[in-house]
Amino acid sequence: MTDGINHHREGLTTSHHDWSMLQVGKLLENQPIVIISVEDASEVLLKNGVSSAPIYDSGRKMFIGMFDYSDLMTYILLVLKKMEVPLEDQTMEMRDLIQKTNHSQNVPVKLVSDLSGNDPFCTVLAETKLGAVVNDFGTGIHRVAVMDSQGNMTGVLTQSLTLDYLMRHLSEFPQLQPVMQKGLQQLGLTGIKVLSVTGETQVLEALIIMSTNGVSSLAVVNDQGVLLGNISMADVQYIMKDLRTSWLWLSCFQFVSKVRLSRGVETGEDQYPVLDVNAKSTFGYTLSKLQATKVHRLWIINDTNHVVGVVSLTDVFKVLSGYIDS
Amino acid sequence: MVLDLDACIESLFQRQLLAESVIKEICEKTKELLMSESNVVHIKAPVTVVGDIHGQFYDLLEIFKIGGYCPDTNYLFLGDYVDRGLYSVETISILTCLKLRYPDRVQLVRGNHESRAVTSTYGFYTECMKKYGTSDVWHYFTDLFDYLTLSVVIDNMIFCVHGGLSPSIHTIDQIKVIDRFKEIPHEGPMADLVWSDPDPGREEFAVSPRGAGYTFGSMVVEKFLHENRMDHILRAHQLCMEGFQVLFDDQLSTVWSAPNYCYRCGNLASILEIGVEGERHFNVFEAAPENERPTPAEAQRTLFSNGVPQSLFSNGGGGSNGAGVGGGPNGAMTFAGASGSNGGIDPAQDTIHYFL
Repeated sequence: MTDGINHHREGLTTSHHDWSMLQVGKLLENQPIVIISVEDASEVLLKNGVSSAPIYDSGRKMFIGMFDYSDLMTYILLVLKKMEVPLEDQTMEMRDLIQKTNHSQNVPVKLVSDLSGNDPFCTVLAETKLGAVVNDFGTGIHRVAVMDSQGNMTGVLTQSLTLDYLMRHLSEFPQLQPVMQKGLQQLGLTGIKVLSVTGETQVLEALIIMSTNGVSSLAVVNDQGVLLGNISMADVQYIMKDLRTSWLWLSCFQFVSKVRLSRGVETGEDQYPVLDVNAKSTFGYTLSKLQATKVHRLWIINDTNHVVGVVSLTDVFKVLSGYIDS
Repeated sequence: MVLDLDACIESLFQRQLLAESVIKEICEKTKELLMSESNVVHIKAPVTVVGDIHGQFYDLLEIFKIGGYCPDTNYLFLGDYVDRGLYSVETISILTCLKLRYPDRVQLVRGNHESRAVTSTYGFYTECMKKYGTSDVWHYFTDLFDYLTLSVVIDNMIFCVHGGLSPSIHTIDQIKVIDRFKEIPHEGPMADLVWSDPDPGREEFAVSPRGAGYTFGSMVVEKFLHENRMDHILRAHQLCMEGFQVLFDDQLSTVWSAPNYCYRCGNLASILEIGVEGERHFNVFEAAPENERPTPAEAQRTLFSNGVPQSLFSNGGGGSNGAGVGGGPNGAMTFAGASGSNGGIDPAQDTIHYFL
């Protein structure tokens, strides 16, 4: 089936092929690349509706890293002196950054790239098989930069993009059918303690908890433990928009409300207050919901609306990587 | 207490809030009335159908000016009475009174915003707290919402619902057996009816990007109409810049009745007038003229539940910005002076009274 050559063929194929043998370059057809210079980084993320972008150093004429909301959040916490990094763990860039923030100087984005330490800049060739990348996605890498043989970046392959592709072409991959029918409990995704905050917790406090625990999102619950909403690192974009830093001191409940209100006006459609999935749902339904709502994780709830687990894109790929025929 | 509905309605038209005890009683009586309504209410034309209002009280008044007042005009409201706008309380109060006063001439369908979970974060809860000081009024109304019907059928030909169709519902009879007297669930047929959206690019159902309900396509619409021997689906739920939208070869329409949504989208709105022979006409309108509405600052004035209005403006507009009022989580509110930018309204005169 696969002869190592990327046939650019439109439409559905009638022959089955192994999804894990897809070349990653194929998933990136028609993707525009957002390249930013060292200034105005979060403005660009916001305007383009992406959660990360590669950073191009026009001086050295090369890609030097990635910038995402996790990095932005780490930057904010450093600036607000809410995070201490021991001297021996500080890179040169970090020391430079801290020094600049201490003197209130403008900080070029290259110093903030890959700051969080999560999700470092990874590159793969366009011919790389999807199965290999899916394995990486299952370990927590959210995106890889895809290069051609000349070392030029052809695009960024994210977990979201990959999920979307697989779901749209699902009929071509019958080997995925069995896992789609499995329940979330069967796949071991429930019965896990998840990190949560109450609605009264301050947003800044929530960001610190996320940073300290290395998670990208927290469930927001009421005092009975019932799920009310979600706060995630990507929400930092709403604080950076128009530099509304005062929002850092709102309660999570108020913050979630403000975010919902502004998003609904932009799209003319309000979203359901909480993005969750019932523990009795199938894996396939869960993937459809992740794909449709474009979120990076869904809280798993039981019949009394208490959180009993979470399924993130990383969890999805961890499951899928178990279904690759080696 | 003897309830004088006509007097209540009259005050509400003046944008005067009803006392908490009056709201409690109105909600109680309306629940009794709604309890006997089926999940599918059958009515006859002529009727004027109204889409999302979202607390835009002045635009509701505009609707009555354009479409006619109750009971001269029969009305069918398709839900989303509250949240986002500044006058959700006044809007739902007047609609509840009108339903109670003219039960056969006013139909109220439940929208996705008629829910505790949604109103907690989209504005209605906050507005109730600001205008009454406690959450009791929010409780009375959200309990009432549990009783609102889910759909209406006009002349056995037009199926009317807030959102759209459900993969679990093929016939009208299946809607009738739903237990609707509860908070809208996260999933299932009741959630689908209030959350779903049509998708002209598709033929079948797909999971909705909203996180509840489904999107549904042309084949779903055709099949539903055919099986239930009807010829049109009428719904609201989605913003339409032109005030309405017709899809699937005139088998489905969306009616949207909140012009200049959130006071900034710049969209038109419409009401759908259905004549005796079933003729459909979208009556399009713009936002009510600026100088007939108060500034957002005035709308945010707080009132104490003992009936004493707190006057926040002294004569001549002496009170300067802030003074600890209206600067709540909804962001900074600037106060207009007594003259100038607010179009000539004198805030000192425009106090809000309680109707006791």
